[in-house]
Amino acid sequence: MRVLRWIIALMVAAGLCRVFPLFHAVPLKTAAAAKAAAAFNPAQFAETFWTGTLLTSLDRAVRADELVSLIQTDPAAAKKKYSRSIGLSEGYFYFLRGEGKILSVSDDEVIIAVTGGGTRAEVSLQAGLIFGNAVRDGTGLLSANDYPNSQDFNDISAALNHLVETSVQPKLRAQAKAGARISFAGCAEVNDEAADLKPLKVIPLQTQSE
Amino acid sequence: MNTRELLKKLQPLIALIVMVAVLSLLSDKFLTLANQRNILLQISVNLCLSIGMTLIILTGGIDLSVGAILGLAGAVAAGLLKNGVALNLFGVSLQFTPLGAVAAGILTGLALGGFNGFAITRFKLPPFVATLGMLSIARGLTLLWTGGFPITSLGATFGFIGAGIFLGVPMAVWISAGLVALFYFISRRTLLGRYIYAVGGNEKATAFSGIDVDRIKIRVYALGGALAAVAGLIVTARLDAADPKAGLGYELDSIAAVVIGGTSLSGGRGSILGTVLGCLIIGVLNNGLFLLDVSPFWQQVIKGLVILAAVAADRLGTRRS
Repeated sequence: MRVLRWIIALMVAAGLCRVFPLFHAVPLKTAAAAKAAAAFNPAQFAETFWTGTLLTSLDRAVRADELVSLIQTDPAAAKKKYSRSIGLSEGYFYFLRGEGKILSVSDDEVIIAVTGGGTRAEVSLQAGLIFGNAVRDGTGLLSANDYPNSQDFNDISAALNHLVETSVQPKLRAQAKAGARISFAGCAEVNDEAADLKPLKVIPLQTQSE
Repeated sequence: MNTRELLKKLQPLIALIVMVAVLSLLSDKFLTLANQRNILLQISVNLCLSIGMTLIILTGGIDLSVGAILGLAGAVAAGLLKNGVALNLFGVSLQFTPLGAVAAGILTGLALGGFNGFAITRFKLPPFVATLGMLSIARGLTLLWTGGFPITSLGATFGFIGAGIFLGVPMAVWISAGLVALFYFISRRTLLGRYIYAVGGNEKATAFSGIDVDRIKIRVYALGGALAAVAGLIVTARLDAADPKAGLGYELDSIAAVVIGGTSLSGGRGSILGTVLGCLIIGVLNNGLFLLDVSPFWQQVIKGLVILAAVAADRLGTRRS
């Protein structure tokens, strides 16, 4: 009786495996080719996203003079009105564009004034190494929910940062001169309001010096 | 049941209600739907581990290897799904389907858990020592299997186990809720459940009454391993990656949840529902401390104190009765 029970159980299991197979046997060459084709290329994705989506969406960014003015008078209201955050995170992002007067230039940053008067250090365009996820998460154009593989999503961030470092910052460093006017678009990540808001640290996505 | 007994039984529930009330006053984010869903998602892994741990502790044992088994089972499933198995002799590669990878992961947990039970019953090793050995073995095997690197990009179908949403509720929560229902039924309404309580209550008397105690123990440890594997699959699917270090220290949270839920460390007394409350208490505590911006170093201290208080309450209760 017990043996019969085992035989029936094995037959049921075999039947189920036929309907819902546990694996497929594939020639080694085919398996290797499929694996290579399925690999995600974050650099290629970042390039396509940069030219196809990001640069065409810069007009969605908030005006820098409006944002900076509000940050100076009521940072909480600026956060509520213009920022975006991810999940329960305390940190938040701004996506902004505008013009301003360059006050000073160093290896790591270009300090500009964007509100009337043009004398206060209000925005710091980052010209050094880029860390964090401001470019990926600051615009709201990419959502983690669209990328089940968190590693791919992290790789996208690194690839976007690399694009800023190789295609935006060299131009910024070459063009920026104290006293000149500059138009820009970029993203800011605020984790520590005391350190990140005054001046607002912005990672540049596009710059044009006049 | 007198008032004192009733209060003792309701202790975890009262503790949970008090914590929820206090945290909802201290943090405006605590009662949000997103945060509640987050808590449920966070505890689903510990719940899977703790169901198995409850059964094991009910028999008077302990399993220190569940975190390591979690890591290995997730890695086995991820490795088979991502890379398959190359059979060079036949010139073919066995490409596992998500179902096949899940089955392989669970079988891995079942086998390692069963080995724990075998070592404890046949070689008469103390459960603490046998499972400590398995902890090291499983961690080593995980590093060997993965080469020390995470296995990533496992696909949307597999990812649905950990990151999918069904009827507005994360799949991981459905899975852990289903396991709670199943093992509540097993512990309360089946012979195996009764034997588990009997073995933990009085092992010698159970053996004298003709019950194969060793067999019960092997089954319980095997189930504990399989449940740890389910937890491993959830973690791996949620991260879309098998991390060789996954599950590090999870056994402590699991034991804590079981003890806080009222299961006696000496066996024979406790319940699956108590463990659910224990997991909720640990989950709410973790979440609350995070929302209140308490330093992670203090979080460890506070969690330790809560566990000590729960064990002390259990010991005091046992002495009185």
